[in-house]
Amino acid sequence: MPAASVTSSSFGRRSLVLAVALVATLALAGCQAPESGASDEPVQGGTLVYASGDAEPVCLDPHVGGNYPQALLASQFLESLVSRDESGEIIPWLAESWTASDDGLVWDFTLREGVVFTDGTPLDAEAVKVNVEHLQDPATQSSTGYLALGKVAEVEVVDERQARFVLSSPDSALLESLSQPWTAIQSPAGIARGMEANCEAPVGTGPFVVEDWVKQDHVSLVRNDDYSSPPADAAHDGPAYLEAIEWRFVPDAASRHAALQGGQVDVIDNPQPDTVAAVEGDDAFTWINAPRPGAANRIELNSGQAPFDDVRVREAFIRAVEVDEGIEALYFGTASRSYSALSSVEPLAYSDPSRFETDLEAANSLLDAAGWTERDADGTRLKGGQRLTLRFPVSTNQSIPAEQSLFEQVQATAKAAGFDVVIELLDLSSWYGALFANEYEIVSAPYTKVGPDVLRILYHSDSITPAPSGYFANLSQLDDPEVDALLTEAAATSDATARAELYEAAQQRILGGFYLLPLYDQQNSFLLDSAVKGARALPTVSTPTFYDAWLAD
Amino acid sequence: MLRRAVALVSGAAFVLWAVATLTFFAIRLIPGDPAQAILGGPGSQASQEALDQVRREYGLDRPLIVQYLAMLGRLLTGDLGHSYALKVPVADLLSSQLGGTMLLAVMALVVAWMLALGLSLWSTGRSRFASIIGDGIELTAAALPHFWLAGVLIAVFSSGLDWLPPVSTGTPAGFVLPVVTLAVPLAGFLAQVMRESLLDAMQQPFVLSARARGESTTGIRLRHTIRHAALPAISLSGWALGWLLSGAVVVETIFAMPGLGRTLLQAVTLRDIPVVTGVVLLVALVYVFMTVLTDLASRIADPRLRQEGAR
Repeated sequence: MPAASVTSSSFGRRSLVLAVALVATLALAGCQAPESGASDEPVQGGTLVYASGDAEPVCLDPHVGGNYPQALLASQFLESLVSRDESGEIIPWLAESWTASDDGLVWDFTLREGVVFTDGTPLDAEAVKVNVEHLQDPATQSSTGYLALGKVAEVEVVDERQARFVLSSPDSALLESLSQPWTAIQSPAGIARGMEANCEAPVGTGPFVVEDWVKQDHVSLVRNDDYSSPPADAAHDGPAYLEAIEWRFVPDAASRHAALQGGQVDVIDNPQPDTVAAVEGDDAFTWINAPRPGAANRIELNSGQAPFDDVRVREAFIRAVEVDEGIEALYFGTASRSYSALSSVEPLAYSDPSRFETDLEAANSLLDAAGWTERDADGTRLKGGQRLTLRFPVSTNQSIPAEQSLFEQVQATAKAAGFDVVIELLDLSSWYGALFANEYEIVSAPYTKVGPDVLRILYHSDSITPAPSGYFANLSQLDDPEVDALLTEAAATSDATARAELYEAAQQRILGGFYLLPLYDQQNSFLLDSAVKGARALPTVSTPTFYDAWLAD
Repeated sequence: MLRRAVALVSGAAFVLWAVATLTFFAIRLIPGDPAQAILGGPGSQASQEALDQVRREYGLDRPLIVQYLAMLGRLLTGDLGHSYALKVPVADLLSSQLGGTMLLAVMALVVAWMLALGLSLWSTGRSRFASIIGDGIELTAAALPHFWLAGVLIAVFSSGLDWLPPVSTGTPAGFVLPVVTLAVPLAGFLAQVMRESLLDAMQQPFVLSARARGESTTGIRLRHTIRHAALPAISLSGWALGWLLSGAVVVETIFAMPGLGRTLLQAVTLRDIPVVTGVVLLVALVYVFMTVLTDLASRIADPRLRQEGAR
């Protein structure tokens, strides 16, 4: 395939237009008294209060570990080499252009000029090299970023603004991996302070700076007045409008909602479906629905052991279980049914509703054919004295109450066909414990990652082998050489059309084997006081950005 | 006196040792690998190198008994260790969170006392009707779970009337709902105990003699019977403070207040053993301290105990 060369010729021009527009705005603002009537004119200043229901991070540096709560905060003060726009296209950010060699093993990134970290360190190729080394150093204790850059052998400094990524094997997901907050670029001087200091207040190039972190309470973020590096899809240029963000941790969903209603906070995340439904049509609030990328929320069927090692039993389960009504009733119309292994924000998601039609009669005859012919007093099917029991460990940290109720409906509808679904509500550590011990037949686990390469993580047979920590991502234990081959080839294919075809073939095969029951996109949304204008979710991992946001009176 | 002090200190030391030991072993019975907790929590896809390094660094590769003895050794020198997850000294973490929780607990205790005293003084020695009402209020209050009461208070006073903030802001107004949430069930308990002893005291001959001297009903209550009512409630208060600290886990989470309760919750979720041990030891210490304090307070309120002590 020809060299995949992506240069953004429009980027420079776009910045110029924005800069001119900004100068004009500033000039106008200078000679006019502030207008209170014009509601679409951004207002400078003010503190936005954000109430997060996600767990408080234990370290603000997303290189360490690497989870979603860290990504939420890091999106305010750290930036990545590239970003993604709403259509799923990779767009420039700290890197203004990049080229890949024909064999896909050498990637040259040209950094934006004049970008400076908030501690005064300039952004140069050496900084990129230091960041990749930081992520790959076991002492950093990175897991998400470390995995994302697994194929990067080293970074060479070509010159001040040219960083060369040398790969050990071609990686069509490299740009997507680099767009995530977990691989964001931090100040080398900041990293050199050591883990403890860097966890307290990482130093980036972002529109805000970590000023203070009061544990169990809030993180104070203040504006970076020298900010100059918005992503290519931002609405303005130069520093942010807001003076500061107070990022509060409010774990209780009802308290969060009450605080938003009472005007104590301006934005909340993780609103419960009933809350969202309650404010629908209310002009006082805005709802930003931003499903996470990567995998859809789905129920995985453990094909590694009986009874789901038999495709007929897997199909019977999918034919028997009725989730549409439950999703409609429990999510109040805030979640749409998915028929894909991938999130609907992924352009390469392949969706096929016909594979998930319910049919109790078909389910029953499939089970009969599979030898589950007898039933006990409860109506549970038996085969050779074994009950058709499905252990279903549910993480109360990951499944909101509505989802837990939905699983009860799964339990009820599966019962009609003779499945005995045993739901176990567990805290996160115990839940992982159950998975590591292979004590599950069905399970639902979220997985956030930018791009379709998440399929390789979830369905390649390599992911059945547990990592040293016991973690394995292929929870359906799908072990199919053909799927493996398709996913491996797709990951190494840089030609867009060929890559899309390979991923579609892989998804057809995965869905056709009845290994999973897709439910809906990984729910992720924000409720805002309607006085907050210009906020949006980044189309990378759907974390909010307040760079363009301002507070109307 | 000296013998008493020795007994007190050795008793306290035993309690703390037992608590540390139980916590150390109990937290290892629940699933979850501390090395994983250190590497970003459960489900971390940590590499073998990282896991090995962490196990060496934190001594998790040593036999359990060695780890236990090492922990006891550290505790003896007053070192609570480092948090696995937050990488800061546990002592620093606790001292930064203790103030808020103690303030909350003490305020709740004071408010509960005022409510209980008011209710029991009002409802005793009046009509049967008042006594039934008092009884009903006490039982209901004592039975209210914190999470439910907090939800109702937020629905009424924050969402409904918009009088008080639902999340703590560090301002006095932000304290009202959390304090009330903790105080009301406790007041129910205290009032029940107080009213019983009040009723008891009202039957005593000294009340009759005071009446004969021409003392008013209010005078009798304030000067004589209140002491009797206070006695069991004082000894209950030591227990109550510990109970309030556990209630703080719920209340701090709902009202988003920083404090020991939330610290403990987070530490348990992350299997952060040093922090869990630290919080549990601290609460045990508060219990021990309060038991001594209520003992002293009972002596002040009851002259009989003072004489016994002087012997």
